[in-house]
Amino acid sequence: MKTSFTVGLFLLTASTIVAADAQWVLDRSTLTYHVSHILHESEGVSHSARGKGTCHNGQCDFLIAVPVKSFDSGDSNRDLHMIQVTRGSEFPLVSVRTHLPEAMSGASTILVDLDVEFGGQKVHYKQIAFERVAQGTQTKISGTVPLALSDFRIDPPKLLTVAVKNEVPLKVELVWHVQ
Amino acid sequence: MNRGMARRSIGPTVLLLIAGFTTFGQTLAVEPAQTVSGNTAKPEGPSLDDLGFAKDQIKGDKAEQARLDKRTHMLQMHQRLGLITLAPLIATLVTSGMAVGEHHSATTGVTTLTPFGRNLHAGLGIATVGLYSATASFAIFAPKIQGTPTRGNIRLHKTLAWVHGTGMILTPILGAMAYQQKGLGQKVHGIASMHPVAAWTTTLAYGAAIAAVSFKF
Repeated sequence: MKTSFTVGLFLLTASTIVAADAQWVLDRSTLTYHVSHILHESEGVSHSARGKGTCHNGQCDFLIAVPVKSFDSGDSNRDLHMIQVTRGSEFPLVSVRTHLPEAMSGASTILVDLDVEFGGQKVHYKQIAFERVAQGTQTKISGTVPLALSDFRIDPPKLLTVAVKNEVPLKVELVWHVQ
Repeated sequence: MNRGMARRSIGPTVLLLIAGFTTFGQTLAVEPAQTVSGNTAKPEGPSLDDLGFAKDQIKGDKAEQARLDKRTHMLQMHQRLGLITLAPLIATLVTSGMAVGEHHSATTGVTTLTPFGRNLHAGLGIATVGLYSATASFAIFAPKIQGTPTRGNIRLHKTLAWVHGTGMILTPILGAMAYQQKGLGQKVHGIASMHPVAAWTTTLAYGAAIAAVSFKF
C-alpha cells in the first residue's frame, strides 16, 4: 500500500515536472524579404514557415524553417531567379535556430542570437531585437533580420548589368502558442 | 518518433530512477536531468523532422538546380544581347532618313540620288535582325521550369515579344521591298510603304518589353 502510494505520488510529481517543459508551436507566419535595385524595389513574401520551440530547465530552443520556393514576389521570373541565385533547389530550406532563457520569453523586447542556415551556408547573427506582443493565448513576435547576400556567398543578381544591393532585410512576423 | 518527443519521454524514466533512491515524504530537491545523467548539457532543441515538412520540400535537387543555373545563364545572355541590340536598332532608326537615297549638298545646293544612305540603313537593319534573333533564341531555348505559371511583369514582357517578334520579321521584308523599289528609281509604294510603321511599332514594343522587366508598375 505504502509502495503504491509512493509510486503514485512520484508519478504525479513527475508528470508535474515534465509538464513544466513547454512546447511552442508556430501558428502562422509572414516572412518578407526586401530587395533594392537602382530601378525598383521588390519584396517576396512567404506564409509557409513552420516552427517549434522546446523549453527545458528554463532554457528554450527554437527552430523555424521555411522553403525557399515558398517566397512569392508577384513575378514568376524573379522568383525563379531568386531560387537559382540562392541555390534554393539544392538547399530548399532556410532555417533559423535560437536559444534563449525561458524567463526572457515574457519580455516585450527580446534580444536573441540567431543561427541562420541558408543556401548551404550557416551564419550567426548576434543580438537581433524582436518585439513580443501577447494576443490572448498567442504570442506575436516581430522583427527584422539584417540578412546580407555576401554573408551567404550569394552573388547579387543583376538587372540591366546593375547588381541589387547586398542588404536583403528579412521582416519576420511569427504567431506562436504554447502547447 | 521525433527528437523532441524522445526527450520528453525520458523525463518519467529519469524520475523513476530517482524514485528508487527516494523515500516517501522526501522532497525532490535536485533537477532530475542533472541528478541522473550528470550531464548538464542543454537539450539540442527541435529538429527539421519535427516541423512536418514533406520529404520533397526538404530534399535538395541538384538536377533542378543545374537546370535553373542554365536557365539563368541563358536569360542573362538574352538580357545582355537585348541591350546590345538596342544600339543597331537605334542607329537603324536614325539612318532611316538617309534611306531615301538623296544627298543634298549645302555647297552646291544640288540634290543627288545616292544608294549609300540606303545601304547603310539596310546594313544596320540586317545587323539588328541578326542580333535580335540571337537574343530571342536565348530566351526561347532557355530551360522551362515545370509547374511555374507565368505571373507579373514578365507576362507583359512575353506578350510584347509577340509584337516585336512579328515586327522583326515584317520590317526587313517590307524594307527589302522598299529598297528594291527605290533601286528601280520608283517611289516606295504598296505594302512596302508600311515599312516605317512596322519599324516604329517594333521599336516601341521592344522598348516597352525592356521597360516591363526594368521598372515596377
